[in-house]
Amino acid sequence: MSLGDYLRLLRAKAGGITPLEIEAATELPKGSYRLMEQRYRAIGDDESARKLADFYGLPFEDLRWRLDWPRKALSRSLVAVVRQTSPITLYLWNGQTVTGRVKWWDLGADGLETEAGHLLVVQRHAAERWEPLAKEAEADGL
Amino acid sequence: MAENLWALREQKKVSVATLANRAGLPIGLIMEYESGFRSIDPRHLGRLARALYVDEAEIKLRCDPRPGAGQLERQPRPEREISRAPGAPARSGSGPAGAGAKERGPRPEPRPPAPARPSQIAHVQTLLRQLDLTPAQLEVEVGKPLAELDRTAMSGLLRSLQDRTRDLTAERHRAYLPESVDTYEARYLTEAQAAGAVLRFTLFDGGTDEGQVIGFGPYSITIRAPDGAERTLNKLALVSYTRQPSGAWQKESAP
Repeated sequence: MSLGDYLRLLRAKAGGITPLEIEAATELPKGSYRLMEQRYRAIGDDESARKLADFYGLPFEDLRWRLDWPRKALSRSLVAVVRQTSPITLYLWNGQTVTGRVKWWDLGADGLETEAGHLLVVQRHAAERWEPLAKEAEADGL
Repeated sequence: MAENLWALREQKKVSVATLANRAGLPIGLIMEYESGFRSIDPRHLGRLARALYVDEAEIKLRCDPRPGAGQLERQPRPEREISRAPGAPARSGSGPAGAGAKERGPRPEPRPPAPARPSQIAHVQTLLRQLDLTPAQLEVEVGKPLAELDRTAMSGLLRSLQDRTRDLTAERHRAYLPESVDTYEARYLTEAQAAGAVLRFTLFDGGTDEGQVIGFGPYSITIRAPDGAERTLNKLALVSYTRQPSGAWQKESAP
């Protein structure tokens, strides 16, 4: 799960506190929280992740590592495996691991054909990590 | 008793320019009228009278020369240089015949095509790099040295190179990212709803739920559970879902 998705989840769990209220409480620059939550590429740095971790009372590392797994990186890997016609493995939020060939994906979900032949629709925000991890140049150069 | 135009104008403290403006007549013509060089055209008399707020009868048709002012003499207009075609007859006077026979010189030679701009040449070089082509290869395609292309030809060449580059960049950089919309998931859910299929949902909290899709939006899916209860699942709370084999639910939900 990307930092943006995780922040969205934390905010929902906190009862829908607004981005403006979070920025005011954490002294983040105006508009930066909204970008961190909404953008597909990784937005934010260690300092902002630390402030948000303090705000939610979570370990810093719980937020920090997600900066390295943005939604855009998942898109790159999806592009790569589709082009290479190889399967992708998703490590999900609930501890499940699913492997399958990508049939489609869009803004919110990925459609994976599992080995059993079923189509499993995985919500993108549920994917914590994945393999293979495509580099930017690999996906673009395909 | 009729007065000279210049006398009336001075009485009214109006300049020649203002009078000309009010009457809609050329200044030069007013000056000619005032000098007595020519009689006031009856067609202009009314205009001048109205401009000076007098009756037409108050204006003399031919002014007396102003005391102390010299006779206004018409200066001959300088001959306008008209380029004539060799052997063409010269313009004869300003009579009606001459006025109708307006002559024009020959059309000027068309300008030679402008050379290519430096910016065009630089752009071609950039596009060549993107297309992995050498100038020599392009010259073979074009059929002449690039240095001989004029601005128009270079513009056309740039257009075609840009088209080729666009195709290339679409292939290289435009990854297959249908992420601007929820098309695929929406299509999947629409089909499942239409077919009355049962979906099994895995939730973030480790639980599961299942039912027939009876509606969905960008952020939620509403299902009807086997017991008939309707529940709306927030997508944020979902991990995944899959279609159950047909018939499984009917067996489970059968009494």
